[in-house]
Amino acid sequence: MLLADPAPAPASTAWPARLSLGFERRAGATVLARREHLGPLRVQKALYPEGDGVCHCVVLHPPSGIAGGDQLTLEVDVAQDAHALLTTPGAGKWYRSAGPEASQSLVFRVSKGAMLEWLPQETILFDGSRAAMATHVTLAEQARFLGWEVLCLGRRASGEHYGAGHLGLATRMTREDRPIWLERGRIRGGDPVLDAPAGLAGFSVAATFLATGAPAGPELMAACRGLPVAEPGARVGLSALPDLLVARYLGHSSEAARHWFIGLWHLLRPVFAGRDAVPPRIWNT
Amino acid sequence: MTPALIRLLHLASPTLPVGAYTYSQGLEWVVECGTVRNEADALAWIGDCLEHGVACLEAVYLAHMLVAWRGDERQRLAHLDAEFLASRETAELRAETLQMGHSLARLLEDLDKTSVTRMQHDGTREPGIPPSAGLRGFATPSFPLAWSCMAARWDIPVEDAVAGYLWAWAENQVMAALKAVPLGQTSGQRMLLALGERIPELAARATATPITDTRNFLPAFAIASSRHETQYTRIFRS
Repeated sequence: MLLADPAPAPASTAWPARLSLGFERRAGATVLARREHLGPLRVQKALYPEGDGVCHCVVLHPPSGIAGGDQLTLEVDVAQDAHALLTTPGAGKWYRSAGPEASQSLVFRVSKGAMLEWLPQETILFDGSRAAMATHVTLAEQARFLGWEVLCLGRRASGEHYGAGHLGLATRMTREDRPIWLERGRIRGGDPVLDAPAGLAGFSVAATFLATGAPAGPELMAACRGLPVAEPGARVGLSALPDLLVARYLGHSSEAARHWFIGLWHLLRPVFAGRDAVPPRIWNT
Repeated sequence: MTPALIRLLHLASPTLPVGAYTYSQGLEWVVECGTVRNEADALAWIGDCLEHGVACLEAVYLAHMLVAWRGDERQRLAHLDAEFLASRETAELRAETLQMGHSLARLLEDLDKTSVTRMQHDGTREPGIPPSAGLRGFATPSFPLAWSCMAARWDIPVEDAVAGYLWAWAENQVMAALKAVPLGQTSGQRMLLALGERIPELAARATATPITDTRNFLPAFAIASSRHETQYTRIFRS
């Protein structure tokens, strides 16, 4: 060994966590056929609150929050004609990072005739967090997907603003290799876009709900548009793109945003899944 | 003075028969709901949409499409076009770009029949793209795809083309504000002076932006456009 050994590189703070789930339909039931995990990302046992056709799972990240350097990957395959619903037990928290970025990658593949619902609780980005969030949904023909993301920039309840850090967002949805939805954003702490009237307009909660796989006809759109919003001053909008319904929420209350989304979900689920909405019990705790 | 400059002025002109003046991109809704009440509000809204919206999305796609036209990379053009359309935030914004793209494609086809584009091209060398090629094969071109096709034929430098596109967009938005708020002509000219000052830098930035760095996350803009879809009294189509 050389005497003048260079200073050792600082220990890597990267903490990869990976959860890979596979759902299959067997004899009319959806089963959790594959469950592999690496690091602190788990799933509780498969739940069947609405019969064996739909498998509900709660995705857990026991460290309770995401710190700089964490790299989370959730990979979900839903095989032909299976139906899975995933949620989380509480808010996803992204902590302040002095240096490294943390990342979350959601990779969802939904096969022909299958359905995936990704209905997590809200994501809170602490002031100073450095987050890269990527979502990639790959759909086969007749695959259906309902998913939402409720983003809270800063802990507004304690008067915190998103003054430092950065957030990168990339959502990509393809059906049979054709893009049907692309959304990319990059927000720095204190970014002018946070207060820009056309940007986040000073709101701290920005939420998006995407639904694909069934026609969003005028009656359904009218019903969705008629749904009341609990938070005064919040702004909402719905649009029916080809093969995609998009609902957006801007406000200060993540609870009100989720409440509105759950209301939409009750309207959309019979159309997209042929089933009434059965809220996961963990939402009540 | 180059022939390309005259062609750029032509392409960026409100006389281009694509119906741009019928679209407000959600501006009519923010006037309706009181977010935009005066010149300062209108300038703030349009300036935001220019800097964080069109310059980060449409202008970047336009620049990459223009380069792809030059190389006649048709697969790449189809890919860019599909991605741009999937990036449009609402049904109205998507319908707008498709209608304008369609109108421009039709115009190009008509001009080709009379060889105007060929005759008036700088005659010192053959144009890079044969006039009969271009948009054929693209059934539903977006507006930036069709616009970049013409800009490529007329040899307009990429950054100039992007600046012209942004200017035409800003001019159209200001005209929409004059009608919707309403505001006087001098207000309109003041806004155009302010917006125009920002365009060279935004055009340079858009031209240098990799296609993987496009952005379209402007929630209040997207919501305004969504809400416009059901606005009761309206004069604009977006």
